[in-house]
Amino acid sequence: MKTAYIMQKEIKESILTPKGFLWYILTSVILSVLSYLFLTNSELSLLDQGEMLYMIMNFITALGVLIGLVFGADSFAGEIERGTIEALFLSPANKTEIAMGKLGAALTNWGITFIISLPYLFVVGKGGQNLLTGIAYLAILGTLLVITFSAFSIGLSARIKSMKNSLIISFFIFLLAGSPIFLSSAQRGTWFGMILDLINPFADAINTFDSVVIDSQGFSYQIGRVAIICGYTFLSLWFLKRSASRLEM
Amino acid sequence: MIISVENLVKKYNGYTALDGLNFTVEDGDIFGFLGPNGAGKTTTIRILTAMIKADSGNVLVDGHDVVKEPLAVKRIINALPESNGYYEWMTAYEYLEFFSNLYEEKASKQDIHKLLEVVGLHGKEGHLIRSYSRGMKQRLGIARALINRPKLLFLDEPTNGLDPKGRRDIHDLLIDLNQKHSTTIFLSTHLLDDVERLCNRIAIINYGKIVRTGELDRIKGKGTIEDIFFMSTKEGAL
Amino acid sequence: MNYSPVFAASRITVSINPPFIQANMGDKIIYTGMITNNSDKAVNNIIAYISLANVTRGKEEPMDLEDWSANKAIKVDTIPPRGTYEGKWPMRLIDSGSYVAYVMVVDKNDNIPVSSAMSRLEIKRVLRLNPNNVLPVALGEPILLGIVCIFIYFRRKRVK
Repeated sequence: MKTAYIMQKEIKESILTPKGFLWYILTSVILSVLSYLFLTNSELSLLDQGEMLYMIMNFITALGVLIGLVFGADSFAGEIERGTIEALFLSPANKTEIAMGKLGAALTNWGITFIISLPYLFVVGKGGQNLLTGIAYLAILGTLLVITFSAFSIGLSARIKSMKNSLIISFFIFLLAGSPIFLSSAQRGTWFGMILDLINPFADAINTFDSVVIDSQGFSYQIGRVAIICGYTFLSLWFLKRSASRLEM
Repeated sequence: MIISVENLVKKYNGYTALDGLNFTVEDGDIFGFLGPNGAGKTTTIRILTAMIKADSGNVLVDGHDVVKEPLAVKRIINALPESNGYYEWMTAYEYLEFFSNLYEEKASKQDIHKLLEVVGLHGKEGHLIRSYSRGMKQRLGIARALINRPKLLFLDEPTNGLDPKGRRDIHDLLIDLNQKHSTTIFLSTHLLDDVERLCNRIAIINYGKIVRTGELDRIKGKGTIEDIFFMSTKEGAL
Repeated sequence: MNYSPVFAASRITVSINPPFIQANMGDKIIYTGMITNNSDKAVNNIIAYISLANVTRGKEEPMDLEDWSANKAIKVDTIPPRGTYEGKWPMRLIDSGSYVAYVMVVDKNDNIPVSSAMSRLEIKRVLRLNPNNVLPVALGEPILLGIVCIFIYFRRKRVK
């Protein structure tokens, strides 16, 4: 229950303060620009429905992961710097409960981002194949990725105790993990690129989206990649629990 | 005995913050914990409130070991740290309600309003903490420290930032808590006037060791608390 | 300097249809090329491909058809004596201007590639402001979220 109250506090902070709400507006603006760009290209038939849906799914996942990383960096380190963590530690809520509350809030942020994205997905994917399947995979894999990266970022925040440093490392992680978005599939087609893709949970997710939305392949093709993503999720959660329980003032 | 500290040691990166601390606090005391900057006061409070772990030694709070039973300790204590931050986007009421929810016995809406009245914030419950003055925030911090009706209350420089009237109001509140509700108060402060007015027993810490402890009147003798403090904490006093 | 000798006319003729197209940017069209074998012997393994040139004044240049067409070249295994083959070249019109399109046929047994006549293609620029009815979402959502944000901000702001 204490986890739920802490989660509630974090969510309220996201919704009731400009810090949180600005992210939602920015997400919406980015998706508006992207969907307009994609659809004007589609008018020229430069992009087909499947490709547009795939690309916008990648961006939505990237935005969700980025928000998770940034909020995670602020989670413990920000509270330490603002002096609010001591009052929390004085309460009967233990550090793991506090960490889980913050993770729950990160997931809720993703949920809100996902809901904001739904109209864009429908307008971009309208009339195309695999729209609903794509949305389902985005919901599941996006959630797993957000848990993975948010848990890692919150754990890092608990260890480093400096928001600036936490944020810098989180951005590097984001650039590293999100690099497949910026590289073409041809560049990732070498043996080295394929190994990198396999060990990168973000790349596993976008390759799954490609396989499902563009190539219409079933779940059996995705099992390996989904298993790798799940592995990273458990690893991140373990890292978070360990980091939070060791946190001392 | 509500606090029992035996041979407490705490080191940070080779620096010894607490060097075999020993003292006790009786039920119902207003216990003054004095010492110069860097003496180990905040570290001691953090260990007693189960926020950090000591390297060695035994600490019992109301019979509970702070290492083995931190949850039991946190249920009966609360504290106002020296640098207490606030969730400035909340109202005072929301702030107290949030912390109340973390305890098993939650404060009712009336309890929260009463608490705000007791600390002199009546009528300001619906205001954002961001709009509060420093003194108002300090009062809110004390209200938060009282939210679970603690048996033992730790206060680290509680009258910091308050004007003379504010200080007097807090003094009266603490005396009231102690006398009417039997709350034991552990007060860490530099302000010797506060010690003089409030405390019945004190301990003076220097370089991580207790240099003097006991009843205030007995320690003072015919001198003043300032004399005793400076004598106990000058170089070579150990 | 030696030049390749000029040989007699090929056995093959090719035509392109339609001879004139007027369309808008973003439209998809199909060119049909009719390849006729005028000889008494079958022709085998010939290649037919479509070309496009921009003839807009001041912008004359040959076009790279990568974005315009997915299948620019067709290989025809065989056309029987006096037979015909009809090839289709779908194309998406991705830029406005005046163009000419023509089909070239290459028979490795000849030394002369054969071209059809040129088909004129006029593509008009059309400004579509609301493709796929995206504007209600693209404009509406940020505005709606902004309104909600402002509403929450002013509700929470209590200053004495």
